[in-house]
Amino acid sequence: MVRLQLDPFLNELTTMFEQTTEKGSVWVSLKHSSDKSKVQRNKITTAGKELEFKCLVRATDGKKNISTLVGTKDHQRFQASYATILKARMTSLKKREKKDKRKAVDAIEKKPSKSAKPMDVDKKPPASVKRSTANP
Amino acid sequence: MVYIVSWDDFVQRSVQLFRASPQNTRYVMKYRHSDGKLVLKVTDDKQCLKFKTDQAQDAKKMEKLNNIFFTLMARGPETDITEVTGKEQAAQPPKRGRGRKQ
Repeated sequence: MVRLQLDPFLNELTTMFEQTTEKGSVWVSLKHSSDKSKVQRNKITTAGKELEFKCLVRATDGKKNISTLVGTKDHQRFQASYATILKARMTSLKKREKKDKRKAVDAIEKKPSKSAKPMDVDKKPPASVKRSTANP
Repeated sequence: MVYIVSWDDFVQRSVQLFRASPQNTRYVMKYRHSDGKLVLKVTDDKQCLKFKTDQAQDAKKMEKLNNIFFTLMARGPETDITEVTGKEQAAQPPKRGRGRKQ
Protein backbone atom coordinates (compact mmCIF):
# COMPACT_ATOMS: atom_id res chain seq x y z
CA MET A 1 0.00 0.00 0.00
CA VAL A 2 1.60 3.21 -1.12
CA ARG A 3 0.69 6.25 0.94
CA LEU A 4 0.89 9.36 -1.25
CA GLN A 5 0.30 13.08 -0.96
CA LEU A 6 -2.88 14.54 -2.45
CA ASP A 7 -1.63 15.59 -5.88
CA PRO A 8 0.51 12.52 -6.66
CA PHE A 9 -2.46 10.41 -5.60
CA LEU A 10 -4.70 12.19 -8.11
CA ASN A 11 -2.08 11.71 -10.84
CA GLU A 12 -1.76 8.00 -10.08
CA LEU A 13 -5.54 7.66 -10.05
CA THR A 14 -5.76 9.24 -13.51
CA THR A 15 -3.11 6.82 -14.75
CA MET A 16 -5.08 3.88 -13.35
CA PHE A 17 -8.21 4.96 -15.17
CA GLU A 18 -6.23 5.29 -18.39
CA GLN A 19 -4.67 1.86 -18.04
CA THR A 20 -7.96 0.07 -17.37
CA THR A 21 -9.77 1.41 -20.42
CA GLU A 22 -9.63 -1.89 -22.30
CA LYS A 23 -10.08 -4.30 -19.45
CA GLY A 24 -9.99 -4.28 -15.67
CA SER A 25 -11.67 -2.23 -12.98
CA VAL A 26 -10.80 0.66 -10.73
CA TRP A 27 -11.90 0.48 -7.10
CA VAL A 28 -11.95 3.66 -5.04
CA SER A 29 -12.92 3.52 -1.41
CA LEU A 30 -13.53 6.24 1.14
CA LYS A 31 -13.31 5.78 4.85
CA HIS A 32 -13.47 8.03 7.87
CA SER A 33 -10.24 7.74 9.84
CA SER A 34 -8.04 9.61 12.25
CA ASP A 35 -4.93 7.71 11.16
CA LYS A 36 -4.06 6.74 14.72
CA SER A 37 -4.26 3.42 16.51
CA LYS A 38 -6.98 2.72 19.05
CA VAL A 39 -4.55 3.22 21.95
CA GLN A 40 -3.49 6.63 20.70
CA ARG A 41 -7.11 7.58 20.09
CA ASN A 42 -8.11 6.68 23.62
CA LYS A 43 -5.20 8.65 25.01
CA ILE A 44 -6.20 11.71 23.06
CA THR A 45 -9.84 11.55 24.07
CA THR A 46 -9.03 10.99 27.75
CA ALA A 47 -6.68 13.96 27.65
CA GLY A 48 -9.70 16.02 26.61
CA LYS A 49 -8.31 17.01 23.22
CA GLU A 50 -10.27 16.76 20.03
CA LEU A 51 -9.50 14.02 17.57
CA GLU A 52 -8.69 15.25 14.11
CA PHE A 53 -10.74 13.43 11.53
CA LYS A 54 -9.61 12.75 8.05
CA CYS A 55 -10.87 10.90 5.06
CA LEU A 56 -8.80 7.93 3.95
CA VAL A 57 -9.09 7.44 0.21
CA ARG A 58 -7.79 4.24 -1.31
CA ALA A 59 -7.60 3.25 -4.95
CA THR A 60 -6.58 0.07 -6.70
CA ASP A 61 -6.64 -1.43 -10.14
CA GLY A 62 -6.40 -4.96 -8.81
CA LYS A 63 -2.62 -4.95 -8.81
CA LYS A 64 -1.42 -1.59 -7.56
CA ASN A 65 -2.64 -0.04 -4.34
CA ILE A 66 -2.46 3.66 -3.53
CA SER A 67 -3.88 5.71 -0.71
CA THR A 68 -4.01 9.21 0.68
CA LEU A 69 -5.43 11.06 3.64
CA VAL A 70 -7.64 14.06 3.00
CA GLY A 71 -7.98 16.51 5.87
CA THR A 72 -10.74 19.01 6.51
CA LYS A 73 -8.94 21.87 4.79
CA ASP A 74 -8.01 19.88 1.69
CA HIS A 75 -11.26 18.08 1.20
CA GLN A 76 -12.99 20.64 -1.01
CA ARG A 77 -10.01 20.93 -3.32
CA PHE A 78 -9.65 17.15 -3.49
CA GLN A 79 -13.37 16.78 -4.09
CA ALA A 80 -13.24 19.16 -7.07
CA SER A 81 -10.23 17.42 -8.64
CA TYR A 82 -11.69 13.99 -7.99
CA ALA A 83 -15.00 14.99 -9.59
CA THR A 84 -13.13 16.29 -12.67
CA ILE A 85 -11.23 13.02 -13.05
CA LEU A 86 -14.40 10.96 -12.75
CA LYS A 87 -16.33 13.09 -15.23
CA ALA A 88 -13.50 12.90 -17.74
CA ARG A 89 -13.01 9.16 -17.38
CA MET A 90 -16.47 7.68 -17.03
CA THR A 91 -17.27 7.98 -20.67
CA SER A 92 -18.48 4.45 -21.31
CA LEU A 93 -21.71 4.81 -19.34
CA LYS A 94 -24.90 4.98 -21.38
CA LYS A 95 -26.48 8.37 -21.91
CA ARG A 96 -30.08 9.09 -21.08
CA GLU A 97 -31.82 6.15 -22.69
CA LYS A 98 -35.10 7.06 -20.99
CA LYS A 99 -35.37 10.45 -22.68
CA ASP A 100 -34.75 8.90 -26.10
CA LYS A 101 -37.51 6.38 -25.41
CA ARG A 102 -39.88 9.19 -24.43
CA LYS A 103 -39.20 11.01 -27.71
CA ALA A 104 -39.87 7.85 -29.70
CA VAL A 105 -43.15 7.25 -27.83
CA ASP A 106 -44.28 10.87 -28.32
CA ALA A 107 -43.46 10.72 -32.02
CA ILE A 108 -45.75 7.69 -32.35
CA GLU A 109 -48.51 9.39 -30.32
CA LYS A 110 -48.41 12.50 -32.54
CA LYS A 111 -49.90 10.74 -35.59
CA PRO A 112 -53.30 9.67 -34.10
CA SER A 113 -53.71 12.97 -32.17
CA LYS A 114 -53.28 15.11 -35.31
CA SER A 115 -56.06 13.34 -37.18
CA ALA A 116 -58.52 13.13 -34.21
CA LYS A 117 -58.02 16.37 -32.22
CA PRO A 118 -57.18 19.65 -34.00
CA MET A 119 -57.24 21.57 -30.67
CA ASP A 120 -54.38 19.53 -29.33
CA VAL A 121 -52.36 20.19 -32.48
CA ASP A 122 -52.71 23.94 -31.87
CA LYS A 123 -51.45 23.55 -28.31
CA LYS A 124 -48.61 21.26 -29.30
CA PRO A 125 -46.59 23.45 -31.74
CA PRO A 126 -43.97 24.61 -29.19
CA ALA A 127 -43.35 21.02 -28.13
CA SER A 128 -43.35 19.77 -31.71
CA VAL A 129 -40.80 22.45 -32.66
CA LYS A 130 -38.50 21.05 -30.01
CA ARG A 131 -39.00 17.53 -31.27
CA SER A 132 -38.40 18.39 -34.89
CA THR A 133 -35.06 19.97 -34.05
CA ALA A 134 -34.12 16.97 -31.94
CA ASN A 135 -35.12 14.23 -34.40
CA PRO A 136 -32.46 14.68 -37.14
CA MET B 1 -26.28 -8.93 -2.90
CA VAL B 2 -28.28 -6.12 -1.45
CA TYR B 3 -28.86 -4.01 -4.55
CA ILE B 4 -31.02 -0.96 -4.00
CA VAL B 5 -33.18 0.26 -6.86
CA SER B 6 -33.94 3.83 -5.83
CA TRP B 7 -31.05 6.30 -5.75
CA ASP B 8 -32.56 8.54 -3.07
CA ASP B 9 -33.23 5.54 -0.88
CA PHE B 10 -29.61 4.44 -1.29
CA VAL B 11 -28.32 7.90 -0.32
CA GLN B 12 -30.55 8.21 2.72
CA ARG B 13 -29.74 4.75 4.05
CA SER B 14 -26.02 5.07 3.48
CA VAL B 15 -25.85 8.40 5.32
CA GLN B 16 -27.85 6.83 8.15
CA LEU B 17 -25.44 3.90 8.24
CA PHE B 18 -22.45 6.21 8.35
CA ARG B 19 -23.90 8.33 11.12
CA ALA B 20 -24.64 5.19 13.14
CA SER B 21 -21.08 3.77 12.94
CA PRO B 22 -18.63 6.34 11.54
CA GLN B 23 -15.59 4.28 12.54
CA ASN B 24 -16.60 1.21 10.57
CA THR B 25 -18.49 2.50 7.57
CA ARG B 26 -16.77 2.68 4.21
CA TYR B 27 -17.92 3.74 0.76
CA VAL B 28 -16.50 1.78 -2.16
CA MET B 29 -16.84 2.51 -5.84
CA LYS B 30 -15.93 0.13 -8.64
CA TYR B 31 -15.77 1.29 -12.22
CA ARG B 32 -15.27 -0.94 -15.25
CA HIS B 33 -14.73 0.96 -18.47
CA SER B 34 -14.75 -2.21 -20.60
CA ASP B 35 -18.26 -3.11 -19.35
CA GLY B 36 -19.44 0.46 -18.87
CA LYS B 37 -20.63 -0.31 -15.35
CA LEU B 38 -20.44 1.48 -12.04
CA VAL B 39 -21.14 -0.18 -8.69
CA LEU B 40 -21.35 1.64 -5.37
CA LYS B 41 -21.20 -0.09 -1.99
CA VAL B 42 -21.65 1.29 1.51
CA THR B 43 -21.02 -1.09 4.37
CA ASP B 44 -20.23 -1.11 8.06
CA ASP B 45 -19.24 -4.77 7.92
CA LYS B 46 -22.61 -5.74 9.36
CA GLN B 47 -25.00 -4.28 6.84
CA CYS B 48 -24.29 -3.75 3.16
CA LEU B 49 -25.99 -1.46 0.67
CA LYS B 50 -25.17 -1.58 -3.02
CA PHE B 51 -26.17 0.34 -6.09
CA LYS B 52 -25.28 -0.57 -9.65
CA THR B 53 -25.73 1.42 -12.83
CA ASP B 54 -24.66 1.87 -16.41
CA GLN B 55 -26.23 5.33 -16.85
CA ALA B 56 -24.23 8.52 -17.30
CA GLN B 57 -26.86 10.50 -15.39
CA ASP B 58 -26.16 8.36 -12.32
CA ALA B 59 -22.50 9.37 -12.49
CA LYS B 60 -23.59 12.94 -11.78
CA LYS B 61 -25.69 11.79 -8.83
CA MET B 62 -22.74 9.79 -7.61
CA GLU B 63 -20.59 12.92 -7.64
CA LYS B 64 -23.06 14.59 -5.29
CA LEU B 65 -22.93 11.55 -3.05
CA ASN B 66 -19.12 11.71 -3.13
CA ASN B 67 -19.35 15.31 -1.94
CA ILE B 68 -21.64 14.27 0.88
CA PHE B 69 -19.30 11.51 2.03
CA PHE B 70 -16.19 13.66 1.78
CA THR B 71 -17.82 16.33 3.92
CA LEU B 72 -19.06 13.79 6.45
CA MET B 73 -15.76 11.98 6.70
CA ALA B 74 -13.43 14.95 6.73
CA ARG B 75 -15.45 17.08 9.11
CA GLY B 76 -17.02 14.51 11.33
CA PRO B 77 -20.30 12.60 11.25
CA GLU B 78 -22.29 15.33 12.98
CA THR B 79 -21.86 17.96 10.26
CA ASP B 80 -24.93 19.27 8.57
CA ILE B 81 -24.71 18.02 5.05
CA THR B 82 -27.73 19.40 3.28
CA GLU B 83 -25.48 19.15 0.23
CA VAL B 84 -24.79 22.62 -1.14
CA THR B 85 -26.15 24.44 1.88
CA GLY B 86 -23.57 22.68 4.03
CA LYS B 87 -20.81 24.36 2.03
CA GLU B 88 -22.65 27.67 2.05
CA GLN B 89 -22.80 27.60 5.82
CA ALA B 90 -19.07 27.17 5.90
CA ALA B 91 -18.66 30.15 3.57
CA GLN B 92 -20.97 32.50 5.48
CA PRO B 93 -18.94 33.29 8.64
CA PRO B 94 -16.13 35.09 6.78
CA LYS B 95 -18.71 37.15 4.87
CA ARG B 96 -20.39 38.21 8.09
CA GLY B 97 -17.04 39.53 9.29
CA ARG B 98 -16.72 41.74 6.26
CA GLY B 99 -20.28 43.02 6.80
CA ARG B 100 -19.54 44.19 10.33
CA LYS B 101 -16.49 46.16 9.19
CA GLN B 102 -18.69 48.10 6.80
